[in-house]
Formats: sequence, structure tokens, C-alpha cells
Amino acid sequence: MSVAENMKMALSSLLAHKLRSILTMIGIIIGVGSVITVVAIGQGGEAMLKSQIVGAGNTIELFYMPSDEELIANPNAMMMAPFTQEDLKAVEKIPEVTKVVATSSEYGNVRVREDTLEASITGINQAYLDVNGLKVDTGRNLLAADFLGGRRVAVVSSSFREELFEGEDPLGKVIFVRSQPVEIVGVLEQPTGLFSFGANEVYLPWNTWRTIYASNELSQVTLQTENAEDLQEAGQKAADLLNRMHNTEEAYQVINMEEIAAGVGQVTRIMTIIISSIAGVSLLVGGIGVMNIMLVSVTERTREIGVRMSLGATRGQILLQFLIEAVTLTLIGGGIGILLGWGTSSIVSHFAGWPALVSWPVIVGGLLFSMIIGVIFGILPANKASKLDPIASLRYE
Amino acid sequence: MIRLQSVVKSYSIGKEQVDVLKGIDLHIKEGEFTAIMGPSGSGKSTLMNIVGCLDRPSSGDYYLNDHLVSQYDEKELAQVRNRSIGFVFQQFQLLPRLNALKNVELPMIYAGVKKKEREERASEALHKVGLSDRMGHLPNELSGGQKQRVAIARAIVNNPDLILADEPTGALDSKTSVQIMELFTMLNQEGTTIILVTHESEVAEYARRTVFVRDGMVMQNETTVKGGESL
Repeated sequence: MSVAENMKMALSSLLAHKLRSILTMIGIIIGVGSVITVVAIGQGGEAMLKSQIVGAGNTIELFYMPSDEELIANPNAMMMAPFTQEDLKAVEKIPEVTKVVATSSEYGNVRVREDTLEASITGINQAYLDVNGLKVDTGRNLLAADFLGGRRVAVVSSSFREELFEGEDPLGKVIFVRSQPVEIVGVLEQPTGLFSFGANEVYLPWNTWRTIYASNELSQVTLQTENAEDLQEAGQKAADLLNRMHNTEEAYQVINMEEIAAGVGQVTRIMTIIISSIAGVSLLVGGIGVMNIMLVSVTERTREIGVRMSLGATRGQILLQFLIEAVTLTLIGGGIGILLGWGTSSIVSHFAGWPALVSWPVIVGGLLFSMIIGVIFGILPANKASKLDPIASLRYE
Repeated sequence: MIRLQSVVKSYSIGKEQVDVLKGIDLHIKEGEFTAIMGPSGSGKSTLMNIVGCLDRPSSGDYYLNDHLVSQYDEKELAQVRNRSIGFVFQQFQLLPRLNALKNVELPMIYAGVKKKEREERASEALHKVGLSDRMGHLPNELSGGQKQRVAIARAIVNNPDLILADEPTGALDSKTSVQIMELFTMLNQEGTTIILVTHESEVAEYARRTVFVRDGMVMQNETTVKGGESL
């Protein structure tokens, strides 16, 4: 007898006791449902954390961190400009690198009329806009012409606006950076990320920044590659190149944000595993329920088993019949559980503002696991059924 | 076709050993219609179980179609039951949740017959026992006689060598009993070997030969006149 036919037979005998089947399934439904919910929320959280750490693009930052030896050998190392225009051009030539984001940053006082505010004043190149993007809420973004011409325009953060303008429209207003006038053309969106906080920031085209600060120094260089796989390699190449150009051992370094993200991912994964194994205990309880009801079913159907044996069913076929019945029961329970978990995690994510990820591996895993539960807890009743004596079973009342 | 040679069946109850069958010798030829009679406790049910391959003798040989089935393992016995033996029970033993057609299909499921062929052969068998119009009915929608007809259809559907009927009329009224016994007679005339276990002599009269069992032994072995007529 084929498995498909066994399944059909199992379904009909489960349908013959609908209430009992549903009650038996509830344990499995709750078990699978809660595991799916926990895993979905856990994976969603992990994905969110990772995306916030790594950022949107495939980017890696170059760091200038001279070692102690290098500082002793050359005490000026710390004072040196970490990156120069030549560095930038050299790094841009690395084949994997698609964009090089360069910024220069200084803290300084910004004056509007009589008010002053300390803010981070950052000169950015056009690649910065392409890679990081500056989301402008009101006004306009920096334009190619601003970068090329070194126009005296700025985009400011929303908290900067609140501190200095207090509800006034800042667009078109002139602020003074190192006594040089700059016109505000746009205000950024309020940051929403987990690690973003409202900092006072002023963004200028890099050429403008260079004129104001009379400096060619680039304080931060970030690379972007086409593919995430090339990222670490490209970063290492750039660091090696810069070390060679500057005659340093390992003053130029890259930090792999993906490694950090992987670390964070591991933490959330461990949490997910712990919580879902607790949820999995209910699956165990559900499995025992299945075993219980299957044992009852075997006793009830002793005569059926005797008849089937007299008609030529082997012990193996009887075992398979009851095993498949148990697996069908847990599989249906698992399926409903997955839907329930999907629903629950969607609701939770809706109210918690936290994405829930129900992935295919989780669904397949959930079904597979319900099947395994069915086999584990179905084998005892099925074995009992197959061991029945046909003669006694035929006479069973 | 059936040959039992000094078949002994004993059970041990506690420390005591009880011999239910004490050396049965029985020979049944192909196409025979044999009744096995005996009072309750005579061992006729045990004999029937052994002949039906539901049980194995403690000692002695049982040949079915020249195969020594008393040496078969359980899996092989299941196959013999499936292919060579058709059971008809006193209590019909139909599966209550399956309709008549599905009940008749059961032995073929275990024989590995394809679905389409199963349906054809099952409806054919039901037609033969006169239940073409009841195929979709569940057992509890059928009368006792109809149930037993379904059981007979189920017994013949795999074209067995032998039909074993254990008190087939025990749960039926006399009028229906006659109809069922006539059905057996018809099947026997078509060439099917039939063994009938009964304690009613009116029922046994349908058989051509009666074997009396008492205290685990074959007491009397006679061919009835009526059976002789039907030859």
C-alpha cells in the first residue's frame, strides 16, 4: 500500500473523530506556532540589527590608527593628516572599488546672528550622497553643482535646526562657520535608527569645507564595492596600498562591520534558540498527547486491526498505517501551527515596530519537526498495533 | 489441496499445558465443500485458525497447495491469507467507516492492486453477490444478510483457493441463512473450495462432506447424500 493511500486512510480516520483530532493537534499547533513566532521575531530582529550596523550599502571604512611603535618612531604620526587627495585617487583605482566616500570633519562653533552652537561640521564628497544618502526633509539636497563649484551651501540636521532656529524656517538663512557665511538649503529627516541620535550636524560640499578650513585633510574614507563578498578584500587592498604609500606598517586598517554584525547576529541567534527551545517543550507535551490518543485509537480499533490482518495485512503494514496516521496528525497540527505563528509574529511585529521574518527554512523545518514528533510519538502505539494477535483481535469487543 | 498431518496445538495456561488439537489428520481436495462441525470447546475454531493461516500448529505439518505453510513466517502467512484464503466471519467484520465497495477493495489494497482495477474487481464481486445497488452504503446502512454478502464479496475478490466461513449464518435469521448458504453453494459450483465451520446441522447439510471434531480430534468424516447429488 502506497504512502499516499495510507495518508488518505489516515485522514479519513482522523476526520471520523474531528473533535478528538483537533484537541490532540492543539498541543502541536501551540508548540510549532510558538517556536515559529519566536524564530520569526528573533530573525527579524537580527536582520534589523545587522542592517543598522552594516548600513545600507556594501561599505567599509578605512581607519588611521598608528601603532605604539610607529608613534614612538614618528611622534608626528598622530598629527598627520590621515588621508590626502592622492590617497583618495589611489584608492579609487582599486578595481573592486566602485565609490570612495571621503569626509572631513571638525567640531566647531556655528553662529547665527548672536547665537552660537557647537556642531560637527562635515565636508562630504558627492559619493557620500550616493552611498549614504542624506534624506532631506525640507529644502533641497546638495547638488552636483554645489560639489563642483564649492558653493557655500549646507544641509543641517533636524536637531541643529531645533537648537538654533526653534521652529523658524531655516531655509535661506545664513550661518557662519569660522566666520565664513554659508547658506542653509536643506534640513535632514529625523533619524529613526536604533543607534542614531539627534546630533548637531552641518554638511558642506567638500570643496566648501576645504576653503573654510584651508585644509586638504580627509578624516574619513569609506569604500563601496559592487558585491558584498569583495568588501573585505577591497578594504584590505586599500589599507595595504595606503600603508605602502605612507611608509607605515599597519597604521591604515579596516574594520569589518560585517564581523561585528555577525557577532550581534550570534547573540540574537542564541537568544532565539534559548527561547524557542523553551517553546519547544510544549511540542514535547503535544507529542505525548498524540501518543496518548493514538494508544486509545489502537485499542478502539483492535477489531479493525484483526480484520486487516486476516485480509492479508502484514505487521509492517499495520505499523506503517498507524505511524502515518500519527504523522498526519502532527503534520496537520504543524501546518496550522505555522500559520498561527505567522499570524502571531505579524501581529507582534505590527505593534512592536519590529520586523518578523518567517523564512522558508523555518517553515520547512517546522513541518519536518512536526513529522519527526509524529514518528517519535507514533512509533509506540503503531508498534503496539502491529504486535496484536489477529485471532484475539477479531474476537475483541 | 489442504493436507494436515498429525497437527497438534497446545497452549500453556500457567504451568499446565492444554492440548486443544491432539493430532488432526485432514485432507481436503480442491473444489470440495466441507463442513467442520463440533460442539464448543471441541477445537474447531483453533483448527479453523490454523487452516486459515492465522495461527501455526505446535507440531505437525500443514500443506496448502503442496506448500508447507506451517513453516512459513508471519509475513509469508499474511501473504497466504491475502492471496489464497477468503474469510467470512459470523460477525461480518466489515470496517464500519468504509462503504461496501471500499470494504471489498481492502484485500486488494494489501495485494498491491492498482486503484482502478480494484474498483472494477470490487464492483464485479459485489455484483456477483447481488449487491450492485448497495456499493456506496456503509455497513450500518445494510441488513445482516447484505453485510454478509459484502463480506463474501470481500472474501472472493482476490480469487482465493479457499473460502473459510466461520459460522457465517450465526447472526442471521433462517430465511437469510438459506440465501447465504445458497450463495456459498453457487460459489462452490463455480469451483471454489469452501470450508464451513458450524454447529448447526441444517447449515452443514449444504456441504458435501462433514467433518466432526470432538476433544481436539477428528471423530467422523462423512460425505453427505445431498452433497453427492450436487456433483
